[in-house]
Amino acid sequence: MLRYGLSALDFTKLSKEARRLTAAGGSPKVRIAVLADCAPQHAVSLLKVLFVKNGIDAEMYEGEYDTIELEISNPESGLYAFDPHYLIFINSVFSLRRKYEAFHEDPRSFSGYHFALMKQLWEAASAKTNAIIIQSNLVVPFERLYGNYEAKAPGSFFSNVQRLNQRLLEEAAENKRVFLCDLDYIASYVGKKHWFDEKMWILSKSLCAYEFLPLTLQGFVDIVLAHLGRAVKCVVLDLDNTMWGGIIGDDGLKGIRLGHFEDGEAFEALQHFMHDLKKRGILLAVCSKNDQAVALRPFREHPDMILKEEDITVFIANWQNKAENIRSIKEILNIGYDSMVFLDDNSFERQTVREQLPELIVPELPEDPALFLRALAELNLFESASHSELDGERSSVYREQAQRQVAEKSFSDPAQYLKSLEMKISLSRFDDLYMPRIVQLMQRSNQFNLMTCRFNQAECEKMRGDLLHYYPFYVKLQDKYGDNGLISVVILKLEGRTIEIIEWLMSCRVLVRGVEQFTMNFVFELAVRHRAEKVAGRYRATDKNAMVKDFYVQFGFQKTACGPEETAWELEVPRYRPAQTYMTQENQII
Amino acid sequence: MQREEARTLLNQIFRSLFDDESLSITEQTTAKDVSGWDSLNHMNLIVEVEKTFGIKMTTREVQSLKNAGDLITIITNKAK
Repeated sequence: MLRYGLSALDFTKLSKEARRLTAAGGSPKVRIAVLADCAPQHAVSLLKVLFVKNGIDAEMYEGEYDTIELEISNPESGLYAFDPHYLIFINSVFSLRRKYEAFHEDPRSFSGYHFALMKQLWEAASAKTNAIIIQSNLVVPFERLYGNYEAKAPGSFFSNVQRLNQRLLEEAAENKRVFLCDLDYIASYVGKKHWFDEKMWILSKSLCAYEFLPLTLQGFVDIVLAHLGRAVKCVVLDLDNTMWGGIIGDDGLKGIRLGHFEDGEAFEALQHFMHDLKKRGILLAVCSKNDQAVALRPFREHPDMILKEEDITVFIANWQNKAENIRSIKEILNIGYDSMVFLDDNSFERQTVREQLPELIVPELPEDPALFLRALAELNLFESASHSELDGERSSVYREQAQRQVAEKSFSDPAQYLKSLEMKISLSRFDDLYMPRIVQLMQRSNQFNLMTCRFNQAECEKMRGDLLHYYPFYVKLQDKYGDNGLISVVILKLEGRTIEIIEWLMSCRVLVRGVEQFTMNFVFELAVRHRAEKVAGRYRATDKNAMVKDFYVQFGFQKTACGPEETAWELEVPRYRPAQTYMTQENQII
Repeated sequence: MQREEARTLLNQIFRSLFDDESLSITEQTTAKDVSGWDSLNHMNLIVEVEKTFGIKMTTREVQSLKNAGDLITIITNKAK
């Protein structure tokens, strides 16, 4: 996601920053390898700067120009010694053309043949590293051999590139390790007549015009950021002149511009996009300078409103400072400012909010509302590393949460409140049905996350299958207000007479409900069953998880090691005192 | 554009690109004379020259550059 504007992607400025870059040190590094059949030098140094700009201290590995096959096939290669977290393949269509020209079989079979080669490379790499693979697609070339007739001429180079992209798309849809970076989209956005630079290809084997290299590489950065859990979780919306034209307080229900009234279609388009985001699991909130009752009227009564009241998780309309209201929204949802986007047509409001909440993402919006949606799309703010059928339910879960907060206030005794919730908990070993949500929670959870391991799907499945050494399980919680869904993931490693907690994370919306206490009781029951002598765990500090720094203390664990970023803990099984909880277990886990 | 004017503007590009405010290029300056003028920065130099002077050099022109003087010749021929 581009939390900075497009103008920040200036080749000259970034190249200069790249030269001045010094190692940040300290924070855990993300290891990123780049293999390319075009020149890798500019790409790698620009990628590093872009990662730093996004707060990621990336350690880069640069394969030599056009040595992809060598690096992958040689088990002793620098690539494998580097052991990347992410493996980026950048493929140039100019390079592909040479391979096409050297191909002596039936040209109609070229795309299939080349796809098989690419797939082999991924598989070979997957066998030797745990890296997530980010593969560029090919930018469909300028020149056509048959003009518009290409579709009926499957042997041409143009047609082969199109077919290869289609194969990549189909494979990436199924393959859990491989993620596509859509270069053809970027080149089309820039305009291919500007993006392609044949001269710079001949002179220096550059992927594209240098001017557009930063924007092109931002795509890879976006994918890595999404995998590291840097995703937008909530969009905060202004109403007047942002969600509809005009001012509801002055113009009234009949006066605001929506639907086919004047430029109403522009606002309708933005509302449709917001509605789709909500269905995708991104929360919507309203922050408007209005009287609450007035602001709600279009949501309840206007026939052309796409967004309805129930689509909005938190609705704040008053005459207070907007930054204050956004702070309230943040607290109710329990998320970070850096995962929130604020949309407001008013440049003064945007500037004020930016100054007070510098971490919040506040995109510039153009003067003409017809271009709002485009301005937003340009920033690729909603990049994701996973999706799940259950995403759409998140919004209603948070609405139920707001109702619980009201109920909580009416009880003076917390135990009484917890009993009144009638909570039902279930613990289950990882399974197919919930794997997408498990992986997603691994990526998204930042605060209540003891190790922030960010295991990917392949790793989760490996542990799931290893019955002898791993016990990975997830926790679901229900109460009388609704289903909270899958809210916690714990991974245990069975090591001789020790049960080691290698990951423990939980969604913050079920804090202080006793979920972690119930789960820890379960871990020790399991320890007894496995005749383990002790349970061990560790905490690794990030800039977001201070909340669980003392997680193990409350259960009576002893600190056994203490480093600058990591602490280790253990507790002998007989010494554990089960915690008091107020929930019933729904399933019997084996 | 006159050669001297082109040289002055080119010198500014060099100073900024190679982070050296004391740099003073002549017609005879070559890559050997400027610390940091490697093949990577050579491409950055071409990008900057084309952008600053609003010109497009041909592939052959870039390939046949031997010294700063050659670059100044191309600039004076092409820039308005």
